[in-house]
Amino acid sequence: MRVASSTELPIATESDVVIVRRRVRELAQRNGLDSFATVAITTAVSELARNVLVHAKRGSSMIEEVESDARRGLRVAFRDQGPGIPDIERVLVGGFSTAKSLGLGLSGSKRLVDEFHIDSSVGCGTVVTVTKWARF
Amino acid sequence: MNSPVNYMQRLRIDDKELRARRAFYEITDEDLARLAGLRAFGERNGAAIVDALYQLLLEQPESRTFFPDDNTVSHVKAKQRDYFLGLFQGRLDLAYVEDRLRVGAVHERIGMPPKLYIGAYSRYLRLLFDRLLAELPVDEAHAAYRSLAKIVAFDKGLAIDTYIAANLNTVARHQAAIRELSTPVIRVHRRILLLPLVGTVDSHRAAQIMETLLLRVVEEQARAVIVDIAGVPTVDTMVADHLLKTTEAVRLLGAETILTGISAQIARTVVQLGVDISTMHTRARLEDGIELALALLGRAITTTKAD
Amino acid sequence: MPGPIPILRVADNLLVTVQTDLHDAVADAFQEDLLVTIERTGAAGLLIDVSGLDLVDSYVARVLVDTAKMAKLMGTETVIVGIRPEVAATLVRMGFTMSGVRTALNIDEGLLLLPRPRK
Repeated sequence: MRVASSTELPIATESDVVIVRRRVRELAQRNGLDSFATVAITTAVSELARNVLVHAKRGSSMIEEVESDARRGLRVAFRDQGPGIPDIERVLVGGFSTAKSLGLGLSGSKRLVDEFHIDSSVGCGTVVTVTKWARF
Repeated sequence: MNSPVNYMQRLRIDDKELRARRAFYEITDEDLARLAGLRAFGERNGAAIVDALYQLLLEQPESRTFFPDDNTVSHVKAKQRDYFLGLFQGRLDLAYVEDRLRVGAVHERIGMPPKLYIGAYSRYLRLLFDRLLAELPVDEAHAAYRSLAKIVAFDKGLAIDTYIAANLNTVARHQAAIRELSTPVIRVHRRILLLPLVGTVDSHRAAQIMETLLLRVVEEQARAVIVDIAGVPTVDTMVADHLLKTTEAVRLLGAETILTGISAQIARTVVQLGVDISTMHTRARLEDGIELALALLGRAITTTKAD
Repeated sequence: MPGPIPILRVADNLLVTVQTDLHDAVADAFQEDLLVTIERTGAAGLLIDVSGLDLVDSYVARVLVDTAKMAKLMGTETVIVGIRPEVAATLVRMGFTMSGVRTALNIDEGLLLLPRPRK
């Protein structure tokens, strides 16, 4: 995989979320993602950015234009030093009732992207990386 | 569309990539300055070298077929002269790349295979070297040749990319055509759409179906969508789930979905699997689905003459 | 006090067009204004036009669904109109069905779904 560009943006306020979304939408369109794929990745990004804001108060996002086997795509990683997620498996299955918004945001986002990685443990923060490829 | 700009996008050639390529081909500012200093040489010898190049190409039976008439020859020669002069511009920026891709595109369009087009570069260098030795002191001729060879190598890389990009565009077009053919949405009546599904439905196709249907619903302002699955060989939990999701999405647009073509086997399988599609309108026969759709819209089929 | 999102009256119904992002303070004000207006006018129906939204995440979806539920408690029927194809696909793929809320293609269609004006 080749990384054509990378942009790091902070997430500390509501307007930061809007900025991240806007950038992702712009890059998605620039990399040949159709309208459905663009809205999918932008929505996933919105969910994940809000998760950072709500559960960790602050964090950062890394937006990368990537390329692999002649296919173009976007990879976005969200990093925070928040409390961490104790039971990732359950959360990903969805409907984790005590942290409803977190559960829906994570499991929902997973279904909107092509690749989804999450690294999180209590006390160690969280890194969520999602990738969406353009249709050939 | 096979335009140079499109190629640049498809090949992802931006400033960063350009810098990487320059470094890889070891093209220095000194090289570029040296070639810029030889511009007069280029202008003097351009026409003759291009003519010699095409004379060689036209003599070969295999390459001659790509120049069926004089128009093609003069068109291509003109482009080639531009290319030749471009070697002495002394700049290597994105505009230069676009120019190169344009020349490559012309040759790709007339159908010339890469081996001939790229093979022609060697002749270029040979012809150039002869002229350089004839007009410049030996040391200068060698230095100029070395710089030119680097640029030509860079250009060859772009020429290859042109063919690759053209192929990728073709594949993309074919894939788009396949997608369209596999989701034929028909307007059977005012605001009623019909999608006869034939063949297996995997996740990829299911996603395509949902998107196409949604777009057509808005386009036709449809209030009812009939999806006939008589032609789908297996309806398992995954397929049923996709159909349910599609129904939900269509509902968000304010339209109803009717599933028809439910065979005895499908009915049995679905219930045995425990899949709940009771929330959907379902019918065994397409005609019943059509009548239901009409009813939902306040219309009906009437008999005007005794059968 | 007029909020940032204007609420129009169409016969016995209310029409509100959402153009901006519905988050936090904006969402709260949106809901508050609507409910207060419903209380004041006793509107029979509420049309929420989201055709201007190219993104509806789970937060916004919840605001819309909750608003419809609150309106229902006050006797007002809600129809959400203009959900874009891409937004619809994304919502169902996320698992958010907005069940219980009526939907229509556009304002005209939405008005057809609302109760006839009360005399």
